[in-house]
Amino acid sequence: MDSLPPPPAAQLGESHHRRSLRLWPSAGGSHWQEYLWVTGVVGILTLICNPLPEEYYQGLGFVYLLAVILLSLRVGSGPAMWAGLLSVAIWDYAFIPKRWDWEIDKLTDALQLGPYIVLALVLSQVTVWIRNQAREEHEREQHATALFHLTRALAAARTLDEAAVNSLRLLDVLLGAQTTLLLRGDDGGSLSPHGASSYFLNAGELPVAEAAEQLRRPVGRFTETMPESLGYYVPLLREERVLGILGVKPPPRANLPGRQRELLDVFARQLALMVEREHLRAAGEREKLLAASAKLHRTLLESVSHELRTPLAVITAALENLVGAEPALHANLLGEARMATRRLNRLVGNLLDQTRLESGALKPRLNWCDARDIINAALDGARDALDGRPFSISVPEDLPPIRADFALTEHALANLYFNAVQHTPPGTPVAVSAGVVPGGGRVFFTVADRGPGIPAAHRERLFQKFTRGDAARAGGLGLGLSLVRGFITAQGGEVVIGGQPGSGAIITLYLPHVAADNPPPE
Amino acid sequence: MSSVAHPTLLVVDDEAQIRRLLRVTLEGSGFSVCEAGTGAEGLSEAASACPEGIILDLGLPDVDGLDVLKRLREWSQIPVLVLTVRDTEDDKISALDAGADDYLTKPFGGRELVARLRAILRRIRGGNDPAPVVFGEIEVDLAARLVRRSGEEVHLTAREFGMLRMLVQHRGKVVTHRQILRELWGPNAEDNTHYLRVFMTHLRQKLEPNPGEPRHLRTESGIGYRLVED
Repeated sequence: MDSLPPPPAAQLGESHHRRSLRLWPSAGGSHWQEYLWVTGVVGILTLICNPLPEEYYQGLGFVYLLAVILLSLRVGSGPAMWAGLLSVAIWDYAFIPKRWDWEIDKLTDALQLGPYIVLALVLSQVTVWIRNQAREEHEREQHATALFHLTRALAAARTLDEAAVNSLRLLDVLLGAQTTLLLRGDDGGSLSPHGASSYFLNAGELPVAEAAEQLRRPVGRFTETMPESLGYYVPLLREERVLGILGVKPPPRANLPGRQRELLDVFARQLALMVEREHLRAAGEREKLLAASAKLHRTLLESVSHELRTPLAVITAALENLVGAEPALHANLLGEARMATRRLNRLVGNLLDQTRLESGALKPRLNWCDARDIINAALDGARDALDGRPFSISVPEDLPPIRADFALTEHALANLYFNAVQHTPPGTPVAVSAGVVPGGGRVFFTVADRGPGIPAAHRERLFQKFTRGDAARAGGLGLGLSLVRGFITAQGGEVVIGGQPGSGAIITLYLPHVAADNPPPE
Repeated sequence: MSSVAHPTLLVVDDEAQIRRLLRVTLEGSGFSVCEAGTGAEGLSEAASACPEGIILDLGLPDVDGLDVLKRLREWSQIPVLVLTVRDTEDDKISALDAGADDYLTKPFGGRELVARLRAILRRIRGGNDPAPVVFGEIEVDLAARLVRRSGEEVHLTAREFGMLRMLVQHRGKVVTHRQILRELWGPNAEDNTHYLRVFMTHLRQKLEPNPGEPRHLRTESGIGYRLVED
């Protein structure tokens, strides 16, 4: 009782602190036990004093008075008065001459006995009163301290959840009770139990909490509404709206004094404020997300329409010009139109692939493949884009069959070829290689260019869809690397961007590798 | 192609513009063309017009093209080229398994379409032609079980020759992994596609001028192989 409640995080875990943390002790012995106790103490004192010589009786009067004062420090006012009366009676009967007789021989003794009775009664009552005052003062201080700690637990928490956990654990200890918290989501809806609760409502208690929600005032045990229930329920009110319910369930037969209920009410108001703040914050977040997504849609629409319209414009213009053009120009115009259709086709393919990846419709079909075949197949699709560039392939002669999805890996490589072409100066070489990573277990494909390279800071960002490198020249939706990663991770692989800025980019695809068994001999 | 001046082709596609374009392309290449806009119409045309080949779209308004193909195959072995926007390996394999002779995805090149059509039509007419087949510097005489490269005999193992024979018999057309495995290793070996990689590598080393970038023994992404003659 003497120590102040420590901050929740510091000592709540240690059970021996729990007892000392308890804000109000449960009521001590009952009333009749105190009477018995007082009677016993006075009786024992009498037994001790009995052998003393008769002439000590005046001093013994003070000994009894002292006993009454000391007893008054421990017991209630009734037992204290009983202690006074009992000690006067015994002193008179057993000690004032002559002994073992109510009679009093001397007038001076009689004069002494009268004030003695008054003194014993007044002292006992004054002592009890002072003690009660001191206790009340102490309780007020404890109340303030408890509120301070609860408020601090709320204020220090970064999230509502953290606040709920901290403050509920603190309440558990302060009240020696179990606590529960029901909260409404920021989108309205019904109340649902919060994970920080130390007990959860059963079918019997739920209607009580619902009553608190409807009546908007504390109900349950210790109140006039549904007093037979196990817990006391306080609504978290904010401008007539019930944001949640705080419930406290002390052990059976334990009390929840008015001062504690007061504390709970104050705390519930503060918690309600916190919940409201959280709701406002969440609403703000949603707003921000919506705005960001609207912006993304706009950008996407602009970029998709640009990417679709450009090749269409080229095709339309080329075909219309074809009609009146000199025959010498025909090949040129047709070449442009063909290039535009390929670009359009690639774009549509990438958009479809992205959709497949996102819808989860893409299931890799792993099969035994020849790495060289995959590289060549990807090259077939990108040949016109690579026109005029030195292109080298290096694959070890003895590379065993690898287990991969042919089409996905081919698409990934083709995208890397297109990227290399798009982001490097015309005429610079592109090199592709494949092999088994030393130690086995993985195979790799690398596509290396001699362009400006990719700064390390941009690398991770480029894997996001609709993201293009800063140095990207016109064209492209920024889907390439996002697709590459999608295709490769779907097969259990990994994509790594490497190379030194200034000396070209090296993009490596890793795929899991298992060795194939050899075909049976012929 | 020489025996019939203008072989008739049936185009089954619900897009009128595609049908018009195909008509222009195919008539320009010496075919005559009849059209159908639905699967049901396609099936009845196939029976009544007796075409020599069918170009079939899979995305038809009334029935799925695959079902049209399966019903057609119940009574006819007419060569069918599937021409569709569906481009996944699964789509290709299921069409080939259902009896399609070849598979081309939209958008397609007119020249490639005609070349593929000629290949499947010729195979039907001259599939059992015992004359040696020549591609590049290679000459294959199936009847004599002989392979020559620039006039010199090339030694092939039994399985290598088996694979080459299948590709030559179906030259110009995709032969799926499963078909090869079933024929050369038996029905239980259908999943052992890595066998094929090994034998194909050997074949290319023996027959291709540049085995790393094969011209004739081409891989069809994730599906199978195709022998390209020129």
